[in-house]
Amino acid sequence: MTPGLANTVAIAGVGNTEFSRAAGRSELQLACEAIMGALDDADLSAGDVDGLVSYTIDPVEETELVRSIGFNEITWSSRVPYGGAGSMGVLLHAASAIASGAADVVVAYRAIRARSGATRFGAAKTAPSPTSAHSGTTAMQWCMPFGLLTPASWMSLNSTRYMHQYGVSSADFGRAVVQLRAYAATNPAAWGFERPITLDDHQDSRWIAEPCIRLLDCCQETDGSVAAVMTSRERATDLSDAPVAIASASGAGLFEQEIASDHYGPDLAVMEGSVALARQLFERSGYRRDQVDVAMIYDAFSPILLMQLEALGFCEFGEAKNFIADGNLGLDGALPCNTNGGLIGEGYIHGLNLVLEAVRQLRGEAVNQVDGARTALVTASRTGAILVRD
Amino acid sequence: MCPHCHSLAVEVVTLSGRGTLYSYAILHHPQNPVFDYPVLAGLVDLEEGVRMVSNLTGVEPAEVQIGMPLVVSFEPTARDGTVPVFRPALRAPSGR
Repeated sequence: MTPGLANTVAIAGVGNTEFSRAAGRSELQLACEAIMGALDDADLSAGDVDGLVSYTIDPVEETELVRSIGFNEITWSSRVPYGGAGSMGVLLHAASAIASGAADVVVAYRAIRARSGATRFGAAKTAPSPTSAHSGTTAMQWCMPFGLLTPASWMSLNSTRYMHQYGVSSADFGRAVVQLRAYAATNPAAWGFERPITLDDHQDSRWIAEPCIRLLDCCQETDGSVAAVMTSRERATDLSDAPVAIASASGAGLFEQEIASDHYGPDLAVMEGSVALARQLFERSGYRRDQVDVAMIYDAFSPILLMQLEALGFCEFGEAKNFIADGNLGLDGALPCNTNGGLIGEGYIHGLNLVLEAVRQLRGEAVNQVDGARTALVTASRTGAILVRD
Repeated sequence: MCPHCHSLAVEVVTLSGRGTLYSYAILHHPQNPVFDYPVLAGLVDLEEGVRMVSNLTGVEPAEVQIGMPLVVSFEPTARDGTVPVFRPALRAPSGR
């Protein structure tokens, strides 16, 4: 239990740029725009901010942000490793800093040009990129010499094993993608806006990694930035009539676990990090799975969405395909999931856009709104949080 | 350091070169000119208990099956190096 953290910190504001494939401006500028949007949303100013947190692989330097936005005195800053799998860790870091008194107002940000920038995320690279340090993978050493050059290729080995172990087909993954694209089709911010797909479209899309990952199973390569401003729940309540409290935030780094190239645990059909994460989140918050009104689950590739649904305990192992086929990820289902279209349908701000969607759901402002949503789960493989609104 | 006993004593041993296929993927896109496509990627459980990423050779993509017995083969790679890849073994590996 972490009684010193639970519900004492809230997300007071969120902001974002447009999501595109060619932002036409630097990551620094994108971050500035998203952060100013979040501060405006929170009714705070740059001078109120004393904490910063991002991903280790984010290219925007704190010093440049301070100079550009005009922060006065940053007393605390942090970076979360593990790439996208660490994305919800920014909530844990910020909440820990605020709960401990190390900072009063923390900005979490991610700025990325995954399509037009120096590092195109899905490209077939044969050398580490400048931002790959601390991303939690040994793939550069142990995968690249054999032609496994992309996150899709690294995760495909786990995905094929998952299919083999539980009798899952490409069409089973496709049904999840059809749902995500249906959400994206009504989300004007999404790459997939007004472009729903059928299961046939999915099955007709070309193989990236056979027999598990087709083109339409992949998240987007997106340019853009998102930001969230956090402060004490007390202060957030003074600022806004709709603060979103952090009931629980945690991370799970297990023995032998890697990011994306997670090839060395005993059973690769089970995402053990997510099993541990869910245990921590629900035990620490006191919330139960059946209280989750809406979930945001890191869908870099569709197979890991199914695997996380099982690991997080929303269905039995091997049952995600049936859970999805029964419509449970839809607005009328047991677990409306990735209602912005997810990273596959909306875009890929390295997972942090899922936090924004959770906040909008809890405020009642989502495009695909879950009626009366009060509790949201946001997870990215090994980091996650439960967000609540009173 | 050994994560089980915390020993720092390192010893080089020769492995049998035998293993079984734990998982695989046939990689089509994106492509890099250094490699021939499709790339047959395999995750191989070696007889000695180590798992490694490698390539499969001497097998058609449609014939690749999880659990198939494999044996090591060394193929040339960049800069006059060699890499261990795996081809189907005629019989199941012993000892596991």
